[in-house]
Amino acid sequence: MKEIVAFIRINKTQRTRDALAEKGYYSMTVNNALGRGRQKGLQYEISGEPVKEYEKGTRLNYIPKRMVILVTNDDKVEEVVSTIIDANKTGNIGDGKVFVCPIEDAVRVRTNEKGERAIL
Amino acid sequence: MKMIRAIIRPEKIEDVASSLAAAGFPALTKIDVYGRGKQRGITVDSIHYEELPKTMIIIVVEDDEVEKVVSNIQVSSLTGHYGDGKIFVSPVDTAYTIRTGNEEL
Repeated sequence: MKEIVAFIRINKTQRTRDALAEKGYYSMTVNNALGRGRQKGLQYEISGEPVKEYEKGTRLNYIPKRMVILVTNDDKVEEVVSTIIDANKTGNIGDGKVFVCPIEDAVRVRTNEKGERAIL
Repeated sequence: MKMIRAIIRPEKIEDVASSLAAAGFPALTKIDVYGRGKQRGITVDSIHYEELPKTMIIIVVEDDEVEKVVSNIQVSSLTGHYGDGKIFVSPVDTAYTIRTGNEEL
């Protein structure tokens, strides 16, 4: 089993959910998160003009994002990842990241089923 | 790659973020969480708080940078009292950048 953790734009949540549902992946956990990437957030900038002294420090350090978590079988990982990437790609900085992490076990609370039966 | 999840005091987040940025790790995600530790919350006078507000920061780095990041968080979020938090390190198989679709951090 693998856990797929995706950090995406807030306005792409609905599209991601629809795209995943179309492929048959209905279960997921969505969380609000604040984050930043290599660019250290956003800075107000007029194109072509250098940043003025009083504008320094007027940056948005953390950008609101959605964190989507879903757990699938090993053989479905490729499909889920490519679906998320296709639904979220705009080509601009800030599209987000997708991480794939190993999961040792899962338990369904209602029936006490373990392993892959718990997530099917 | 490893995912580092640190649960720290909310008031320490700016210290940790700026010290990580100075060490060359500007990228992070933070989430406000509630939790408690071995002390089962805190009791102030007659009021018992079961869960205390904390901030969780999530960073994914290459294997050889884990030690550097962990010690950086540990030093910058330290007060020496109960409630400073925990740092967890877990494996990450692959990371994709959505903008390019490539396997890269």
